[in-house]
Amino acid sequence: MTVAVDYQRVLLPHPGRTEPVSLKDYQAEDGYAGWKKAITTMTPDQVVEEVKASGLRGRGGAGFPTGSKWGFIPKAPGAKYVAVNADESEPGTFKDRELMEIEPHRVLEGVALCCYAIGAETAFIYIRGEYVCAADRLEAAIADAEAANLLGQGCQGTSVNVRIIVFRGAGAYICGEETALLESLEGHRPMPRSRPPFPAVEGLYRRPTVINNVETLANVPSIVHRGSAWYNTIGVPPRNTGPKIFCLSGRVNRPGNYELPLGAVTIRELIEQYGGGVIGGKAVKGVLTAGVSAPILTPDKLDTKLDYDSVQAAGSMLGSASLIVLDEDTCIVRAAALMEEFFRHESCGKCTPCREGTSWLFKILSRIEAGRGVPGDLDLLLSLSGEISGKVLCALGDFATSPVVATVKQFREEYERHISGQGCPFEPW
Amino acid sequence: MLSDSTRGEIERLVATFPESRSALLPALKLAQRDAGWLPREAIAEAADLVGVPHAAALEIAMFYTMLHTEPVPRTRVVVCAQLPCALRGAEELIRELRTVQSESVEIERTSECFGACHRAPMARIGEQYRENLVGDERRRLIEELRQA
Repeated sequence: MTVAVDYQRVLLPHPGRTEPVSLKDYQAEDGYAGWKKAITTMTPDQVVEEVKASGLRGRGGAGFPTGSKWGFIPKAPGAKYVAVNADESEPGTFKDRELMEIEPHRVLEGVALCCYAIGAETAFIYIRGEYVCAADRLEAAIADAEAANLLGQGCQGTSVNVRIIVFRGAGAYICGEETALLESLEGHRPMPRSRPPFPAVEGLYRRPTVINNVETLANVPSIVHRGSAWYNTIGVPPRNTGPKIFCLSGRVNRPGNYELPLGAVTIRELIEQYGGGVIGGKAVKGVLTAGVSAPILTPDKLDTKLDYDSVQAAGSMLGSASLIVLDEDTCIVRAAALMEEFFRHESCGKCTPCREGTSWLFKILSRIEAGRGVPGDLDLLLSLSGEISGKVLCALGDFATSPVVATVKQFREEYERHISGQGCPFEPW
Repeated sequence: MLSDSTRGEIERLVATFPESRSALLPALKLAQRDAGWLPREAIAEAADLVGVPHAAALEIAMFYTMLHTEPVPRTRVVVCAQLPCALRGAEELIRELRTVQSESVEIERTSECFGACHRAPMARIGEQYRENLVGDERRRLIEELRQA
């Protein structure tokens, strides 16, 4: 394999490994060094400042600055919580799974540092119910870390207490939406809350709460241990610092998780040099960069660097950096229908435009694919999308329109061929 | 109708959380273990142990895909047909698996993603992931299902 970037992995240093890194092995690689440094030599505010200086942005999708999020937590006494978003359910995303399965202690150390920084003593890792292996490994790692007095009461002889609880979901994409996640944790139907109040003020059990993605927190141990100046040598400072795990899937020869600095490679380089190229040497028809939740990029955008700002400038979002590659044999209408089928299934039903709209979008796309489309359908898809986007409580509704709007705009001719030819011109797949 | 051990586990769970209602979802998952699904009586009993109205537990039980308010076949094979898996032959896998469908083996197609897109196509059977279901892996699974 040609390696485009000379880079020492930070988050997943053992590619190909299938067993979890034990506490002993993690500590041999400076594991928990950041944690010990923080609770014995740093104030919570200093930890927040270090994370702010690192430039770390949320790896769950939104890319919000992590240190600023922590800084929003009020200083007043009283219970505060950390909720870790491990409900990884975006199609094409499988990075948090590998982090939790292989590097459970790195995740736990990040959670503990977040707790210390904001003054929380309890953290919940909200993990999707299907990730049984990852949840079991996290629980085993918590037990080991507590037995070593790294977590629990009076960590390492200090007065710091940290209790981490693994909370297993039961199958619902909406629980990855942060306020729906809190509802689920509280034993209610997981439907997004109206904001304000924001979780930093009124979150879990109506107390100040930080909600961070697994990969985000997995970045924190090395930031605290090695310092923000070191972290800024990775990626493209100031807005795109640090390592990122890119999930590569679809029609490539070597799908998988590839950890690289933000902005180090282009989409084309990731596909060709890491993913081994497109299967059968076919041409790329389009690439989704944020799972199915952001606009598809066409082949003229393949030389876009993989960082937050470059992908946004190209007309999409980096999101969770889940790249799904579609080749020239892929029917775009069928792809859009599959994506919309997902949103129809996952809409929680709280907001009418999303509940009804995703269902209608799916029905219209399906009839076009089946050769029963009518000439007004494309404008109908766009106007219907306009009735959902921005008119709902959470981002799911907006996400649900992007497979439709982007593909109709960029592949209109292909849609029209389905309608005029009364059928799909592609081989079934 | 819940077993003594399940009741005991739910009672312990209730004491784990800052607010007892947080135990509701995990309690329902525990309750489901007893019969393999959630009869109304089991939902009501879990609700009583957590201290919430029966309707509150029922609406949770009906929301999540991993909770079943009706009996499920002994072997339930859930195949992901979302885009990354579809691009790697999920529909063909479903067609082949359906040839061994029986009263005790159900093949279910889902649009939900299970986070195994790099090992597509894949299926979930109970709590197990079966990945890279091509060639020998696929043949092995089909043979297992035939025997199931």
